[in-house]
Amino acid sequence: MTDATSTDRLRPAVARGSRFATAKGAITIVVSTVVLFIVSAIVAPSSVSGGVIASMLPFAAVLAIAGLGQMLVVQQGGIDLSVPGAMSLAIVVVSHYPNGDDSRVLTAVLIAVAYAVAAGALNGLLVGWLGLNSIIATLGTNALLFGAVLGISNGIPRSTTRLLSDVAAGRTLGIPHAALFALAALLVVAVLTKKTVAGRRFTAIGANRLAARAVGLRVRSHHTLAFIWAQLLYCLAGILLAGITAQPTAFQGNAYLLPSVAVVVLGGTSLLGGRGFPVSTVIAALFLTQLDQFVLALGVPFAVQTLVQAAALAGGVALYTVNWAALRARFGSRPASGPAATPSSA
Amino acid sequence: MKRHTLRAVALATGLAAVLAGCGSGGGGSTAAQPSQSASPLEGAPSWCGSKQITLGLLDGFGGNSWRLVTTASGEDEAKKCPSVTKYLYADGQGDTQKAISDIQGMVAQGVNAMVVFPDAGKAILPALRSAYKAGVVTVPYRSDPGGEDGVDYNAYVGSDPTADATNWATWIKANFPDGGNILFLSGPPGNTQGTTERAELDKQLPADKYPILGESPFEVTNWDPAKTQQVLTAAIAKYPQIDVIVSDFGPSLVGALPEFAKSGRSIPAVAASDGNVLSCFYEDNKAANPDFKLMTVTTGNDNVRLAIQYAVATATGGVPPTNLTFEAPVFEDSVSGKPNPVKCDKNLPADVYLSAQLPGDAQAALLK
Repeated sequence: MTDATSTDRLRPAVARGSRFATAKGAITIVVSTVVLFIVSAIVAPSSVSGGVIASMLPFAAVLAIAGLGQMLVVQQGGIDLSVPGAMSLAIVVVSHYPNGDDSRVLTAVLIAVAYAVAAGALNGLLVGWLGLNSIIATLGTNALLFGAVLGISNGIPRSTTRLLSDVAAGRTLGIPHAALFALAALLVVAVLTKKTVAGRRFTAIGANRLAARAVGLRVRSHHTLAFIWAQLLYCLAGILLAGITAQPTAFQGNAYLLPSVAVVVLGGTSLLGGRGFPVSTVIAALFLTQLDQFVLALGVPFAVQTLVQAAALAGGVALYTVNWAALRARFGSRPASGPAATPSSA
Repeated sequence: MKRHTLRAVALATGLAAVLAGCGSGGGGSTAAQPSQSASPLEGAPSWCGSKQITLGLLDGFGGNSWRLVTTASGEDEAKKCPSVTKYLYADGQGDTQKAISDIQGMVAQGVNAMVVFPDAGKAILPALRSAYKAGVVTVPYRSDPGGEDGVDYNAYVGSDPTADATNWATWIKANFPDGGNILFLSGPPGNTQGTTERAELDKQLPADKYPILGESPFEVTNWDPAKTQQVLTAAIAKYPQIDVIVSDFGPSLVGALPEFAKSGRSIPAVAASDGNVLSCFYEDNKAANPDFKLMTVTTGNDNVRLAIQYAVATATGGVPPTNLTFEAPVFEDSVSGKPNPVKCDKNLPADVYLSAQLPGDAQAALLK
């Protein structure tokens, strides 16, 4: 009985929930981020000092770029689990191949880009053309990419060259270069997906594959391209991360898998596909990274830091995925003792 | 009557056979004892006896530069003894199951002695014990697997976990006699290395003169350079004065220390473990950072040498080293220059440990 009624209630909730998200996504994440900065300033003022902001921005930029890549895949209704392998591979290529020699950095970047295109094409082939589930396919690609990481590096970290450090971790007029790269990536992704015909088609295909095919859009090509673009963005994120950390490990990308999905969801893009929100995704990356700095500055034990982060993430995701109207209706329609009443008494 | 006699004889024979089996198969008390018949070999180190043996070196996880250097150091040490006629190596690749079957495989291949890095800790202990009971000289090193010397294995050859902290504390007291604020960084939450070091720091440094800032027992960095950078950034903003940074993984500081310069502050004194990358960072930045002093303790690649010496001595009949605790001495001190000034070799890769006996070029060749 109870099961049947709850599924009945859930059905319209999902549809309504997703419409709610598309309308309010940007506003929600902007408000959350502003609130976070205000709370940071009051509770842990050191976390919003100039130095911290300037040091936090490069990491936010890396996450933002990886998140934009993930967003493109999510827009096509997939999830890309090859983020760690892709970023780690870019990192080892740009740190191992030049081996301290600045003049070889450019070649290394081109090699990394070639790997990225190949990995994206492989994902595209598996998901777009062969119809594999994206979680399975990209998990396999991730393993392959880590194979390449180990093949190149034997798991051994190597320092990045000075040139790459200067480019990725440097600042111009006080603005971290990585943040400029993130803005450029945002501009490209936003303009391509929002202002071009191809971008509109891309969104339409993500929203409804069957309808898109019926009107004659090239569904498989767009799917494949989503993965290639995503890989290029992960590659850029990896190269920047290599420069920012100066002495990256060979598995540095591991820390970016879940956050890259989290920023997409926090930015309001539905995991079911369709419209993407590049600006909101980038702001969500800023939100998550500042949250990290905030809990560090709080000076609470590590366990509490983790709990605060988890609570903020759960809260953010709940804003989109919980059907608040249905909840209100459910508890509001009961008598005064409503919430306390047990199912058996109902 | 006759039948009784026969039975008695059969019983006695059986008992004798069982007893003999126990003796040769290696019952608890006789397992892997030093061989009495052999004697030190002429022209070789005293720990090298004359009995010919096969030696195995087993790693729980061999995939980083520190391990590569350590493994090569172990092989280098074993080569010094001609009685080691065959040398085997196995890498558990971070997989406990594989590490266990590697140990069993070595026993099956008939090694006489094995030196094991028990990364998985107590999970490896039963495998070590069964190798020891099978009569193989078994020597875990560096990471304590639990268990007891002479019961579960021949002897554990580790370093004194408090030695590094003692060296750091001594240096801090000498260079900051009036006290100072300390920031202590270690790896993943709750790791025993960091916890032990913190307990020793607390013991040696009076809390009123040398307050340890931040989270207790240590600021969690996961030994990850990116995380270290974020942690240090937060600390720089939060604490107007940090006099000494103590880190049990020096090289991971390199990406993070420039945060001081970005905040308009001098890099403070650093007490850490050594690495070419950190030493070269010091050389490049000391001029611009008046408060930057550097002291390092050796990262302990040579712990394996002591373990090999003990294992080979026990199996070949040489003279085993008397002290089975690896002393990790101070390596560099930019203030006193003793025992070494800061040693940076820009011609070598960043991941070389100049504190190891294995020469820098040989390490560089490994890392290629």
